[in-house]
Amino acid sequence: MIQFLQQMINGLSIGSVYALMAVGYSLVYSIMNFSNFAHGGIIMLGAYFGFFFLTLFNWPFAVAFLGAAICAAALAVLVERVAYKPLRMRNAPFLYFIISAMGASMFIENFVIATIGPTFKTYPAVFSREPFRLGPLFIGRLDTMMFVISAICLAALIYFIDFTKMGKAIQATAFNPRASALMGINTDLIVITVFAIGGFLAGIAGVLFGMKYTVYPQIGFITIKSFIAAVFGGLGSLPGAVIGSVILGILETLISGYFSSQFRDLISFSLLIIILVFRPIGLMGKSTEEKA
Amino acid sequence: MRKFWGIFLVLVLVVSIVAVGCGQKQEAAKEEQKTQEAPKEEAKQETAGDVVKVGWIGSLTGDQAVWGQCEFNTVKMLVEEINAQGGLLGKKLEAVGYDTRGDAMEAVNAVRRLTSQDKVVTIIGPNASGQAIPISTVLEEMKVPDIATVATNPKVTVVDGKTKPFNFRVCFIDPYQGAVAAGYAADVLKFKKAAVLYDVADDYSQGLTEFFIKTFTEKGGEIVAKEAFKSGDTDFRPQLSKIKTANPDIIFMPYFFKEVALSANQARELGINAVLMGGDGWPSEVLLEMAKDAVNGSYFVNHVDFDDPAVQDFKNRYMKKYDRKVELNGYLAHDAFLMFVDAVKRANSFDPVAIRDALETTKIQGITGNIKIGKDTHNPEGKEAAIIKIVDGKYVFQQKYAPSN
Repeated sequence: MIQFLQQMINGLSIGSVYALMAVGYSLVYSIMNFSNFAHGGIIMLGAYFGFFFLTLFNWPFAVAFLGAAICAAALAVLVERVAYKPLRMRNAPFLYFIISAMGASMFIENFVIATIGPTFKTYPAVFSREPFRLGPLFIGRLDTMMFVISAICLAALIYFIDFTKMGKAIQATAFNPRASALMGINTDLIVITVFAIGGFLAGIAGVLFGMKYTVYPQIGFITIKSFIAAVFGGLGSLPGAVIGSVILGILETLISGYFSSQFRDLISFSLLIIILVFRPIGLMGKSTEEKA
Repeated sequence: MRKFWGIFLVLVLVVSIVAVGCGQKQEAAKEEQKTQEAPKEEAKQETAGDVVKVGWIGSLTGDQAVWGQCEFNTVKMLVEEINAQGGLLGKKLEAVGYDTRGDAMEAVNAVRRLTSQDKVVTIIGPNASGQAIPISTVLEEMKVPDIATVATNPKVTVVDGKTKPFNFRVCFIDPYQGAVAAGYAADVLKFKKAAVLYDVADDYSQGLTEFFIKTFTEKGGEIVAKEAFKSGDTDFRPQLSKIKTANPDIIFMPYFFKEVALSANQARELGINAVLMGGDGWPSEVLLEMAKDAVNGSYFVNHVDFDDPAVQDFKNRYMKKYDRKVELNGYLAHDAFLMFVDAVKRANSFDPVAIRDALETTKIQGITGNIKIGKDTHNPEGKEAAIIKIVDGKYVFQQKYAPSN
């Protein structure tokens, strides 16, 4: 029982990292209808920004954290301007967007390898590694913080989408871009906003990931898992991305805890495929008429 | 205007791709350009024969780049030193190195390029077994010997009881390393219950695990948990939580320092107090930087004792030239190079096959110990391992240890 609870805590904390990354994929998908693979690159850059702000400039943690998120948001918008806007203006097929996204993602990864270097970097210890103890259970300080930050960000995001004018405009654009443009919504601005939000969250996810593990150019490996979680939860649905991520995290943990750590990915992804076979739009996915 | 941006973008992409390509090959790129630009000149040089090329392969990018860079630096330094003393058999040496990016395919390509394009007489490296095993077909085809540095998997030199004719190594092998760790844990530290966490996608980690378990159980110990992860994983808490409930005295962690640092930190976060133990994948400045407290009191098996008087001279020379500490791989690369020089001298020739024949009867005193190559195994035999303990962020040499049977 104690082991089960401990494993649930582990799974929840792994899942909350996935969630923060997965939301970015879902958000862009809901507006643009394609998977923004450059998102992984932005997460990685966010992690590097945070690292350099903390080590080179010695900024206090909160400032570095916010700075990294803002820089990542700016970069996400830049990627949109450079890699997607020209395609958007020409109404290019979605396949082109995906190719462009992959190109951008490889460009970012290799750019970092060439400029910053291929070896991984270690964040300075901002928080104590001493875990909280809850009876026989151990809860990492950083994990708790990550969970709380993820929850706050996601709640703020859902509030923004559902209860603000801008959020309504985003929903309208997701619903039907042409009609909403005719109704006077500046769709270009909506796209920028969506990429900025996605980038901001990517920056936060990057710094948290970097603090917990390390920073290296191939962080994309992890973001692929969060992308899968987003698909599993239903691409385009924010609550779906969160729930899909948490389920993936817990699933992975329980399988390696109770079944076999060797077959973890094999089993957890087979389960995901089976679920998608029966429910192709994902757990919380809605038909295209009611996204976001 | 839009067109202009389009063209500009394409240009940026092309330039950056080229730049990245160069970045990844780093020093190697220079050599490559030379051979590409002036193939004729190269051919002339060969017939004139005043420069002999020594090849090196290993990771200059990726997780293990720290080690690869140190190895290549070592080889370049030793080549410079030997050239400054008038060269070898009256000829100047030149080091040519290619990046394998930690990838088996890249390693095979690099060996092909070194043997067919650069016409090296011997190759030093790679450091990882995963890359050292697949290159043997090319070596045998081109008849050029290779001396692996820290590739400890048995299959690097012997497969199915057959010795690979052109593969040698300067380090001891996994069975030996796993057995040393298990023997020390059972006989010297008197531990009874061990758990193993290993990388299921890595030959090195599997090799060590297999022989650790074999020796530990032979000595009457019990393996209470055996858990796996996959290279690239960053979170080990599910496995560690399971290990925790088995309550081992010692956890054997036979993988590389980055994962060691992450898993050690996570183990302590979960309240696991067992002693940690590992192999030669551990020692690195990065390990202490990332997990100084978590690995305090841990043991690992190594090829070299960093405080051994025999290595001080090399250590200082390297420090003076590169202003950086030598990583473990540097010491092994140093001895691999000694093996090469010794073999050339005894063969009195730069013919790769003659060098190969001489390598088989190597018997030299390297800085990492006595190197006596077994004719049937192509491994150095009877090399003692160094047991090192991490105490307050320092590597403290415990003893030279060879497991008793």
